[in-house]
Amino acid sequence: MALRADPTGAYPEGILVATAPRAGRSSRARRREARLAFAILSPTCLVILGLVAYPFLAAIYLSFQHKMIGAPARFAGLANYLELFRDEVFLRTAYNSVLYTTVSVAIKFVLGLTMALILDQERRFNHLFRTLLFVPWAVPIVIVALDWRWIFDDLSGLLNNLLLTLHLTRNIISWLSDPSLAMGCVIAVVVWAGTPFYAMTFLAGLQAIPRELYEAAEIDGASVIQQFAYVTVPRLRTIFLTTVMLSTIWTATNLQFVLILTRGGPASRTEIFPHLAYETTLMARRLGMGAAVTLVFVPFLVILIVLLTRRMLRPVDE
Amino acid sequence: MKTVSGTRRGLKWAGNVLLALLLFWTLVPFYWMIATSLKKDREIYGYEATLVPRQPTLEAYARLFRQTPFLKYVRNSTIIAVATTLASLVLGSLGAYALARLRFPGRAVIARGLVFTYLVPPALLFIPLFAVMSALRLTDTHEGLILAYLGFTVPFCTWLLMGYFRSVPLEMEEAALVDGCSRLQTLVRIILPMSLPALAVVAFFSFTQAWNEFLYANVFVNSVEVRTITTGLTLFIVEDVFFWGPMMGAACLSTIPPILIYLIFQRWVVKGLTLGAVKG
Repeated sequence: MALRADPTGAYPEGILVATAPRAGRSSRARRREARLAFAILSPTCLVILGLVAYPFLAAIYLSFQHKMIGAPARFAGLANYLELFRDEVFLRTAYNSVLYTTVSVAIKFVLGLTMALILDQERRFNHLFRTLLFVPWAVPIVIVALDWRWIFDDLSGLLNNLLLTLHLTRNIISWLSDPSLAMGCVIAVVVWAGTPFYAMTFLAGLQAIPRELYEAAEIDGASVIQQFAYVTVPRLRTIFLTTVMLSTIWTATNLQFVLILTRGGPASRTEIFPHLAYETTLMARRLGMGAAVTLVFVPFLVILIVLLTRRMLRPVDE
Repeated sequence: MKTVSGTRRGLKWAGNVLLALLLFWTLVPFYWMIATSLKKDREIYGYEATLVPRQPTLEAYARLFRQTPFLKYVRNSTIIAVATTLASLVLGSLGAYALARLRFPGRAVIARGLVFTYLVPPALLFIPLFAVMSALRLTDTHEGLILAYLGFTVPFCTWLLMGYFRSVPLEMEEAALVDGCSRLQTLVRIILPMSLPALAVVAFFSFTQAWNEFLYANVFVNSVEVRTITTGLTLFIVEDVFFWGPMMGAACLSTIPPILIYLIFQRWVVKGLTLGAVKG
């Protein structure tokens, strides 16, 4: 059974809006209905307010304070922000974050689309292949990161052992501590873990395209590439957008890959925002500064979040 | 026509080759994880390191169970993931019912707020939440972590169920209301039984997210008595010394529940994914 709420447009019927009949009801009944609604919604609202809205506002307040963990706060005005913008590590982090996010998302997109197109072909055992290719998605990210850290290990890791056995290299390569390689390695792991998500949503979209469209295009003499450009891509445009926006948010704010693989090193080459915030807060114990680091990041995310919210609610608002 | 079928055959071949490469890329890390967990230490490190375990052994697993608090971590993860799932199902169903079936001022705002909150990533919230948890003395407790997880599971569950409830036909509910059922009775007796697939998706995502979560678990918990698997695993690193054998053993074992659940719920997963359920 298919779920109807579907912001990606793979199921164009959208959400059926339906409420109980309300012909000729008294205002008292309506008030009672509203009371019931508020009563059963209140836990949900409390969760939203207490665990998301309040902390978010608290973060803004904190970022204007000098506050160490376990010490009283002092008002700081814009001092935290000014210090950040003068800090070389921070500027490096901003550059890294953009690079890391765009490259990861771009590769995941291309690889995910390739995976989806391959799985959309007819083939024996395709079900099995799909299951296998999507498995990384189910693995906790911590475990993905630890496993890859071990693969990249200088002396005993799989990668160096394999390269040495195949005589592709004679020297051990320090994958994660070489300044020119570390970011590439982090991105490779992010791609490994994240590609199935793209492939799954793209495949769902591909399978919703009626075969007749391709047949008609073929009769009209369209080549395979033309069919892809004029039939497939337009049909998947909504899914592309939603997937990329969602993934950008989660990729940009993921702490675990960097924390476990490189801790932002070597020489801040892989330092990104979530990890810098984590280090500042928990290692340097500077709560106010940590909040400032996350908040500098917020405007970019809020744009994405607002756009996505609108997309995901479109059928409801109609 | 001939050229088209020629291209088709070419594409099929290219597809098979790429498929093989992608399978290799996807599966090798799993192989390495399992192989490492089955080796003796001397096959793991140094010059005698092997690509295939020469004498497979379960020693690493024995060490894991006897010398580390792994089972405690499993217990904690299970308690927290199950409690989060149950609470999200109850709160999500109630909230979704109100949003889908009842009319009241502010309905659209709350629906919007739900999606918005769901999309705000934990990395933006963990610092002030840490302050909140400390103030409420909820750090180092199961309850604190469960509560923190509700912050992202409840909005998602409510939102997904809301969409589904709206697609449930109204006739039976109307009949039940006329027969004197209360609103909540119609929810429990009519809507919920008809929404089992959606409830399954919601349960699946809540459980997986709680089981896999790392940031909150790492920041809000310090004691072994509450620590979950994801953060427990990183403790196999002691001062830059890694105990790879037991760690990979633990990694294999703690990957089993999410993978099993994924295999069972596979056909529903994709629907949930397109709804943005996962932080991929």
